[in-house]
Amino acid sequence: MEEKIRKLGERRGKVLEGGGLKRVVAQHEKGKMTARERIAALLDPGSFVELDAFVEHRCAELGMDEVVAPGEGVVIGYGLVDGRQVFVFAQDFTVIGGSLGEAHAKKICKAMDMAMKVGVPCIGIEDSGGARIQEGVDALAGYGDIFYRNTLASGVIPQISAIMGPCAGGAVYSPALTDFVFMTDKTSNMFITGPQVIKAVTGEDVTAEALGGATVHAATSGVAHFAFPDEAATVAGIKKLLSYLPQNNVEDPPLVDSGDPASRSDPGLADLMPDLPNKPYDIRDVIARVFDSGDYFEVQPLYAMNMVTCFARLCGRTVGIVANQPKIMAGVLDINASDKAARFIRFCDAFNIPLVTLVDTSGYLPGVGQEHGGVIRHGAKILYAYSEATVPKLTVILRKAYGGAYIAMCSRHLGADQVFAWPSAEIAVMGPDGAANIIFKREIDEAADPAALRKAKIAEYKAEFANPYKAARRGYVDDVIDPSETRSRLAAALAMLGGKRERGPSRKHGNMPM
Amino acid sequence: MKSYKITVDGQSYDVTVEELGAAAAGPAQAKPAAVAGARPAPVSPPGSAASAGAAPVVAGAAQVKAPMPGTLLSYKVAVGQAVKRGEVLLILEAMKMENEIVAPGDGVVKALCVAEGASVNTGDPLIELG
Repeated sequence: MEEKIRKLGERRGKVLEGGGLKRVVAQHEKGKMTARERIAALLDPGSFVELDAFVEHRCAELGMDEVVAPGEGVVIGYGLVDGRQVFVFAQDFTVIGGSLGEAHAKKICKAMDMAMKVGVPCIGIEDSGGARIQEGVDALAGYGDIFYRNTLASGVIPQISAIMGPCAGGAVYSPALTDFVFMTDKTSNMFITGPQVIKAVTGEDVTAEALGGATVHAATSGVAHFAFPDEAATVAGIKKLLSYLPQNNVEDPPLVDSGDPASRSDPGLADLMPDLPNKPYDIRDVIARVFDSGDYFEVQPLYAMNMVTCFARLCGRTVGIVANQPKIMAGVLDINASDKAARFIRFCDAFNIPLVTLVDTSGYLPGVGQEHGGVIRHGAKILYAYSEATVPKLTVILRKAYGGAYIAMCSRHLGADQVFAWPSAEIAVMGPDGAANIIFKREIDEAADPAALRKAKIAEYKAEFANPYKAARRGYVDDVIDPSETRSRLAAALAMLGGKRERGPSRKHGNMPM
Repeated sequence: MKSYKITVDGQSYDVTVEELGAAAAGPAQAKPAAVAGARPAPVSPPGSAASAGAAPVVAGAAQVKAPMPGTLLSYKVAVGQAVKRGEVLLILEAMKMENEIVAPGDGVVKALCVAEGASVNTGDPLIELG
């Protein structure tokens, strides 16, 4: 028996070495950790339990029978993050480039299946050269099996992808199907076709970094939700995100007592709002002052910055905040902002995270580019996502809420449970200038001094309609509140909605515009 | 819009040059704005295709473009001034808001591309940073 135990140790030692010292050193020289180091950084010390360490491929073609791939280029298992169970898989670039073959994919699928079975988050760390070409269609089958599981797990357990190396071709679609994509700056790339193929086909010269680096995906394509300067920061980001999330779709997010009292009133909030309605301010200043301890975690902070999406806590309970950002592009709704908000709303709804919507938008962005880009199709996603969501939905209208944008930003009509308005709110069918021009067109045209009359009519419309009281009179706004009470009123509403139960009609699934 | 064929180092480019209404705002501005608006498209490069990497027509400077249609209310910086990332460069009135357009990175203001009070469209260059 002793001999057998010694042999086990030997075998395990071989697997733990990964691709060997030389490749590990090369990995470190690139500023990258190995798969095992990444898992160690992510999980609580000593909590990792590895599975499938002894799995081997069965490919004998194209010289593969000679190739030894310890652990098959991926490390899988389970462990704890801040005391909470998760499943994890991490591709090992030191073992034949982390390439994905049949056995490699089977290991990943096992981690996903187990995560689903026990209802815990699944975190994938991607660092792979792509499909193991020698394994042919078996490698493709592997990718397909992973995509299929990503889809089944969607909305059941949180799925997080961290890109810490190359992730190219079909491999990108597993992260794309997950809930959140993290990327590490300078060392990670994602693209469908790489620089060489692009060069050959279209003649465009582009580096891997400029094509699919962290900055590109965080700011331009919106593929990445988070980008961090190095791997340690990326891992810390994953932990921070997990702290807001429930383990699965039937649990509530963890309560984290911040000691910030629900009744805390903040007279300074009103001062954040400029006196003139055409002056911008940073909505994040409002978020920081209303929610627990000024702490919030932005999702896609560099993409469609005219819309802010973030996690925060209200009296210890996780909330998802969707807010127009007047500081960027007048807080307009456009294609990218719609996509960003809709996806975030659906995530929150799937995982029992109440939604708080802060409204101050100049409306939909006009332009040929937007219309031809399908702003109708994309803008519809916000309507769909809000209407479909059954979690508690709270809305605060801070300033501008005109026309279609008023409806879209979680109005009563899309099922908001509570709608509050600051006294500065302007809720009307359209802005004063446009409305006056249309309603009083004839009078203005026929006046002796059209400019003066126009001005007078705008002022008249503004006084009459650009306020929250018309909407409050109909009950579309539940209450007009002093800004200083925003926190306490939201907290009371959230507590009141603790027992909210809402079910949509029975159906296979809706057909969300895409 | 005018179309030109430009040959640089034996490689020809089809270039479309658009005259901007505000080009008259200052003599120094016109050139970079007009050239940067053009998109070089390599046309049957003679010799090796690998040499297409050089795109000599595009200025290397960062260009701040209008994120949406509006009116350029005022510039907050002058040519030659050093700016830090996040510093307000200009005010673009659009969607009934006075939007602060900020520097995407550190640099020096090379050119102000349009006149104050001019209407601009999405994508129009507003400022050149070097």
